Amino acid sequence: MNKPLLGLVLGGILGVFDGLTALVSAPETAPQIVGIVIGSTFKGLLAGVLIGWFANKVHSLPAGLIVGLAIGAFFAYLVAAMPTPDGKHYYWEIVLPGSVLGLIVGYATQTYAGPSVARS
Amino acid sequence: MASAFPPTRHSVIERLRKDDAAERSAAFGDLVEGYWQPVYKHLRATWRMTPEDAQDLTQAFFSDAFQKAWLEKYEPGKARFRTFVRVCVDRFAMNSRQASGRAKRGGDIRLVSLDFDRAEQEVRALALSAPADAEDFFRHEFVRSLFGRAVTEARAEMERTGRLVHFRLFERYDLDPDDHTSYAALAAEFGLTESQVTNYLSLVRRTFRAHALIALRGLCGTDDEYRREARELFGLEIE
Amino acid sequence: MTVTFLSDDVMSRLQAVATWPNFDGLRYTIIDEIGRGGMGAVYRGLDDVLGREVAIKVSNGVPGAELERRLNDEARILATLEHPGIVPVHDVGRLADGRLFYVMKRVRGATLPEHLAGVTSLSEKLGIFERVCDAVNFAHAHGVVHRDLKPDNIMIGEFGEVLVMDWGIAQTAGSGDRDIVLGTRGFMAPEQERAESTDARADVYSLGAVLSWLCGGSGAPRPLGAISARAMAAEPSSRYSTALALSSDVARFRAGHAVDAHRESLLERTGRFARTYRTAIILVAAYLVMRILAAYFSGARS
Repeated sequence: MNKPLLGLVLGGILGVFDGLTALVSAPETAPQIVGIVIGSTFKGLLAGVLIGWFANKVHSLPAGLIVGLAIGAFFAYLVAAMPTPDGKHYYWEIVLPGSVLGLIVGYATQTYAGPSVARS
Repeated sequence: MASAFPPTRHSVIERLRKDDAAERSAAFGDLVEGYWQPVYKHLRATWRMTPEDAQDLTQAFFSDAFQKAWLEKYEPGKARFRTFVRVCVDRFAMNSRQASGRAKRGGDIRLVSLDFDRAEQEVRALALSAPADAEDFFRHEFVRSLFGRAVTEARAEMERTGRLVHFRLFERYDLDPDDHTSYAALAAEFGLTESQVTNYLSLVRRTFRAHALIALRGLCGTDDEYRREARELFGLEIE
Repeated sequence: MTVTFLSDDVMSRLQAVATWPNFDGLRYTIIDEIGRGGMGAVYRGLDDVLGREVAIKVSNGVPGAELERRLNDEARILATLEHPGIVPVHDVGRLADGRLFYVMKRVRGATLPEHLAGVTSLSEKLGIFERVCDAVNFAHAHGVVHRDLKPDNIMIGEFGEVLVMDWGIAQTAGSGDRDIVLGTRGFMAPEQERAESTDARADVYSLGAVLSWLCGGSGAPRPLGAISARAMAAEPSSRYSTALALSSDVARFRAGHAVDAHRESLLERTGRFARTYRTAIILVAAYLVMRILAAYFSGARS
């Protein structure tokens, strides 16, 4: 599996999982869970493919981890910046785990996937 | 230039037994040249003689051997000629000690000029101690003398043929054990290519070897002994 | 005549130089001696025609003698085995004194023990070992058994190439030296020590001994200890059947997988899994901790 594809798949799976954890960390958000999971999945897919693309260009675990952390934090921040219907912001609850998910995807794309093959 | 194999030369015994006095004297001169240093160092190291006593006894030994012709009594079946010489020296030293406690300069015959001062410098430089095995020690010093002569001859031949650079390379690479230089470094230093350094060194080594073989031939008792010595020293099978 | 004084060091040097073979009339010139063994000496030489450095092995034996036959066999075997891990032979010939010699590629590098003086990574050591196994396996596929595999006979080239050297007592299928013990104790299979007939499994034994040496003997991880123990089984039938099977098991260990030679307990399996995926596990654990902390603070805030 090439790196952008691994990033996409892993980002998507972790996005779904991350969205569902809202049921545990913030039970009051249960009525909006479908929207949360879709948004989280989309965020995961986008972050994952970007991290995978970077891993394809730069073969360095430290660089992959830093970029993964930054992209994960950035997308999580965008989500956290949107207030809940009751007007609350969950910055730390979203940005911190989101950053770690970026780290995980950065690590996985640098370590496990092969480079994408150019086709003629 | 000397070839890899020495020209035919008779053994020292054959030459010593010739009727021609001049030939016999020349053969003895060669023998003294090849053996006096090992004999002197043997007396210094094994017999623990003073430099003066060792010098007197070395001179006396060769003079006596020439006058009484007892080296010609060598029997090839019993031992190598080199061993025979060493045993004769031991007997001579023992008899001299018993006779007077100090060896006398035997006769007035000076076959070759023996540079004892230089030999003594070598003894000091080598810091010779009493050897565990006199035969091994004598052989080692015999080879040192043989190789020393061959190096001198090789230098002379290189000078004669205008190849002094060849010999300088040999001096640097093979005769200076402290100088861990490389062919590449020598090439740069002498303004040569590495291939030239390789070939020049090869030529001097072959010349050295050829002269060592020529000298060895003149110091062995028999052809068989020469073949054995050549095999041991040079790894050569000589027909 | 003034005789040049020669110190003991110079004497040793000249005694070595004096024994160098005479290549007059041939295209090679000796540069220096590389090593000396029972069968012959190896020299660094210059191929005057191509202007390249080569290694030249010269037989100690006289023409027709057993040593010469062995050197001839060695040259022919090396010529058969064209593999990056086996030194190629360029030429075979005779000196003026009748001794046989063969010319091979000059390998610049270090022996395995010398090379490992600066290597601490077990994975790198095992990578070298796998490449040794590749070369040996290639030889086995061509019916050649090395019979003297040991660390000193493995060289690491300047560019990291791994070469199996000294095929002097190698044996081709159907040939052999029964009743003669050849090899190196400590690395030699028991049947080889007993001068019985040997096959590729004798090399598997030696490879096991090399592996044990590489991993520091009793200090090796248990799966590696089990691999070398299986390779060094007293009965050839109990060993890995090929060098490839041995190499594959080592590769499995290196990749963090279970090895054939060792049945691991649940605890060992868990430990291996944890070691293999250590970073991933740490990251997932960090994520979970974050989530728990997030839930805790979220609850506290509301």
